[in-house]
Amino acid sequence: MNGLWSVIRKEFIHLRRDRSTLIIALLLPLVQMTIFGYAINFDVRHIQCVAVDLDHSRESRTYLEQLRAGQYIDYVAHVASPEVAADMLKNGSARVGVTIPAGFARIAQAGGNPQVGVMIDGSDAQVSVRARLAFISQPAARIPGSPDVRINVLFNPDSKTVNFMIPGLIAVILSLVTTALTAFSIVREKEQGTLEQLMVTPVGRLALMIGKLVPYAILAMFELVVVLFISNVVFGVVSHGSLVLLAIMSTPFVLASLAVGLLISTFAQTQGQALQLTLLVILPSILLSGYVSPRETMPGWLYLISTAVPATHYMQITRGVMIRGAGFADLQTPFFALIAMSVFLVLASTARFRKSLS
Amino acid sequence: MALDYAIESHKLTRRFGNFTAVDQVDITVGKGSIFGFLGPNGSGKSTFIRMLCGVLLPSSGQATVNGFDVANQPEEVKRSIGYMSQSFSLYRDLTPYENLEFFGGIYGLRGAKLKERIEAVVELVGLQKYVGQPSGTLSGGWKQRLALATALIHEPPLIFLDEPTAGIDPVARRSLWDLLFDLAAQGKTFFVTTHYMDEAERCSEVAYIYNAKIMVRGTPSELKLLPEVSPVGTRRISVLSESPPQALRALKGLPFVQDATLVEAEIHLMIDKDTSDSEIIRAMEAAKFLKHEIRPIEPSLEDVFVTLTRNLDKQ
Repeated sequence: MNGLWSVIRKEFIHLRRDRSTLIIALLLPLVQMTIFGYAINFDVRHIQCVAVDLDHSRESRTYLEQLRAGQYIDYVAHVASPEVAADMLKNGSARVGVTIPAGFARIAQAGGNPQVGVMIDGSDAQVSVRARLAFISQPAARIPGSPDVRINVLFNPDSKTVNFMIPGLIAVILSLVTTALTAFSIVREKEQGTLEQLMVTPVGRLALMIGKLVPYAILAMFELVVVLFISNVVFGVVSHGSLVLLAIMSTPFVLASLAVGLLISTFAQTQGQALQLTLLVILPSILLSGYVSPRETMPGWLYLISTAVPATHYMQITRGVMIRGAGFADLQTPFFALIAMSVFLVLASTARFRKSLS
Repeated sequence: MALDYAIESHKLTRRFGNFTAVDQVDITVGKGSIFGFLGPNGSGKSTFIRMLCGVLLPSSGQATVNGFDVANQPEEVKRSIGYMSQSFSLYRDLTPYENLEFFGGIYGLRGAKLKERIEAVVELVGLQKYVGQPSGTLSGGWKQRLALATALIHEPPLIFLDEPTAGIDPVARRSLWDLLFDLAAQGKTFFVTTHYMDEAERCSEVAYIYNAKIMVRGTPSELKLLPEVSPVGTRRISVLSESPPQALRALKGLPFVQDATLVEAEIHLMIDKDTSDSEIIRAMEAAKFLKHEIRPIEPSLEDVFVTLTRNLDKQ
């Protein structure tokens, strides 16, 4: 135990002098406890639902209102036909579709059991189970005759968890490896002194940023192939949609998460700090992406923050293509959101990176 | 603006908060010269170079490098200069050839022209044998030659060398300087910082920066003749003696000795002019140093800077 006290004392001095480590160490649990506490919540409420009211009666409206009062169902749209509702389920803008056929009021008033058609997106088992419950265990009806609910689970009908988790896991793994790839790129040049030489050359800042992204983007696409191969061979997950489409739509996500790494690299002073910052960014984005628990469970402010996370949008793409067999038209929103994000992040990194000292 | 100068600075100043790192520096560097920029650590050397290279904005004053304004045209400045830093700042995992390809590409060299330039600089610095091995595995001297080759890849007329010989062996140091002389003869201009006085002696002109200000500038021989360096009523002599360190200590205590230092086995003294050689000999004998020889000497560049610095510190 030679020199124990000297070492302890010295380490305390390091800790006190290294402000950024100290701040991260104290701030990290604060931020993570708050975000994780809210983000991990399996009590699904406010499931996005699209209503098709073909009866247009007081009774049908009462029925829909009564469903909403149970807090599990939120209407995001009223559309004219069950086909339109099914499309919304496919493109992910609703999880549940409820169709009230014409004649609902007539049958109810006659004391019969009017039929109600319910489509449930089965990709997320937590959501689909909760949605099913919302329809089966309704509070006492304020309309005569209890409706006969016919539930039809559209995707992942056997509610296998693996079918749902694997596409999400692909998004998580890809965002982890890609961000880590570039997080060190600039700070490494800073530490090794090569940045000094680069700064006295006429190299363009944007050229430097994009030049650093491209090779890693290609590497990341190979990683995607590896991950898809494992999910098929080891876990038996079969994609219902086109893998070529998935690959194309993965490109902006790969670029966006590489650009997150690049941005981290412009902030970090050392490679150690880059690692800390990567963890600081990646852990919350995994939870916020809706991988662990559905985004429906998040409070409004957290839901809003989660839309700024690239993995959130990419998860809609992987789940959409692989589970629901969605096409390009269905997934335009997350696709263009990711393109906008990558452009913004690359420009932000370029703006942060200075070819001069201050 | 006269284009006979590669570098021209006018009242160039850089402040960091309340601290002034470079204070109103005026300098002109003629084309084809080897300009030595000297000064102790922390005197503002690096800050000045960084401003001239366009990576640090001046707080006030102005400077042109190859005719480009450092504050308003930093990218043009960068395109027209070569830079070799004190620590090895090329990619260690790339081979010399790959490093040269990369930096050549940044300066817009492509294809056959790039290949031709790489071959030219590799031959110039004599790196042929090593172009294929990782740059990080080269010895210090070869690393510096590679760095010089990189600084020359785009044929810049002006090259900044920041302590180019720090930490390399004497033979490598000598051959690097031989290279610089050759290149200067071909019309290249060099702006060199160094701590070595023998290197300063090789420069066609030197400037000495101290406490953010240029203290003195001129050719090495001009500087040695400066009146401040050889104050009125003093002269410089060299004393040869046995056990020089002990003799130095004895001589330092004498009232008529103003400055004393050891150069190899010789003791260099600055003494009152009217002190005779016999007084020195008497003092030496009193201290029981037997063998001695005395001859008058000129001040060295080191004497110049030491004396000037002390004069300033006294004020």
